Amino acid sequence: MAGRRNGLAVLVEALRTWLVPYRYGLERWSYTLQRISGVVITLYFVAHIVETGYVVGGPSVWTIRPDAQQYAERVWTETIKFLSNPLFDAGLAIIGFFVAFHTINGIRLFLAHFGWGLGRPTRPEPMHRPQSMSPTQRALFWASIAFAVFALVYTTNAFFGVLA
Amino acid sequence: MSGTSEVLLRVYRYDPSNGGKPRYQNYRVPTFRGMTVLDALIYIKENLDPTLSIRYSCRMASCGSCGMTINGLPRLACFTQISELRSKYILVQPLRNLPIIKDLVADLDEFFNKHKLVKPYLIRRDVEEQENPREQYRQSEEELERYVQFAYCIKCALCYSACPVVSTDKSFPGPQALAQLYRYYIDTRDEAREERIRIVDGAHGIWRCHFADSCSQVCPKGVDPALAIQLMRREMMFGPSKG
Ligand code: HEM
Ligand code: SF4
Ligand code: FES
Repeated sequence: MAGRRNGLAVLVEALRTWLVPYRYGLERWSYTLQRISGVVITLYFVAHIVETGYVVGGPSVWTIRPDAQQYAERVWTETIKFLSNPLFDAGLAIIGFFVAFHTINGIRLFLAHFGWGLGRPTRPEPMHRPQSMSPTQRALFWASIAFAVFALVYTTNAFFGVLA
Repeated sequence: MSGTSEVLLRVYRYDPSNGGKPRYQNYRVPTFRGMTVLDALIYIKENLDPTLSIRYSCRMASCGSCGMTINGLPRLACFTQISELRSKYILVQPLRNLPIIKDLVADLDEFFNKHKLVKPYLIRRDVEEQENPREQYRQSEEELERYVQFAYCIKCALCYSACPVVSTDKSFPGPQALAQLYRYYIDTRDEAREERIRIVDGAHGIWRCHFADSCSQVCPKGVDPALAIQLMRREMMFGPSKG
């Protein structure tokens, strides 16, 4: 076995294998996009909690006060104002793309991990195409891309009215 | 490709006894019709630079010893023609995910050890039968078809080198070993199903596979290790498949 690699080398290697999908076919793109979308959703999830809790008022937002009604209204308006920024809107549209892709492709991966929708073992002939990349798997992958593009168009239109 | 043209090979050089710093060296090689990357490397060794280290044996995609990274993809040098690369410039590096012994020669010990880990042989419960087999084990054509694809493996480590999970988790057995596990697991002559499951059932075992399918993409023998791994997981999750 190779000697232990240091943390930085492992990180560089990890990023390289995650982010350089080309040359290895469609399934490697799926792997990379699933990773990126998964990480984006996780970061968004954290940012979403932070944003709703801390942008205005800090932790005091969560405490019950006598003027709770007015206070909540003010926090709501200020948060909306803070977030009404085309940059955030564009970010949400991209997150719409990733969430849609991650969900459908995630379901595809579940099924594949269960051995569903794959081809059967066959004797390899010259120019053999791997059965793991079955037409079903490819169709589901492209369905997740199509769904994600639809989500992107839908959200972009909702924010910027591009289709109007 | 015309008979008189030339290619430029940019070759990874590394000599541990010589300071151990990797570098690249360029060689111009005249090509002929049907020439493989292995032919070009042998040409370099015989005519331009005898210090270049390569490993090969059969020259016909059977022994699995000439695996290397050619223009970015793990391939067998003897099974890759210069013309199919459609480039006048060829980058030749050793296999990824493995330690390098010298130049283009990767150390396959860890790869072979992982193969051994899955006990790639038939196991019979009867110890006497295992040591001194006397019976004939009959099998139908259909039973053979379930594993014969995976028995085509030549242990070239191309899949191991392509796997993104291996590159960040050195305790993962890798596509070749896991495919061989399934090859013996699903063989009707084998009697060690529970034991085989125990070997790979773990967070760094078979569940680690993310189905990036790069192994199946690069396998020169059409073994499709990713298929074997998913079929094995199906067995482990839903119980043994019947006949
Ligand atoms: C409908 C909902 C979801 C489904 C069906 C789903 C499914 C999946 C699947 C199957 C994988 C790939 C596992 C593998 O590569 O073997 C994955 C990866 C990932 N998911 Fe999700 N997921 C969902 C929601 C989420 C959410 C809400 C988050 C974040 C909070 C998330 C974060 C991640 C991350 C970080 C990865 C990458 C890790 C990896 O590649 O294994 N996912 N997801
Ligand atoms: S499964 Fe294919 S790529 Fe992997 S070692 Fe065997 S022959 Fe080589
Ligand atoms: S030399 Fe035997 S596989 Fe290439």
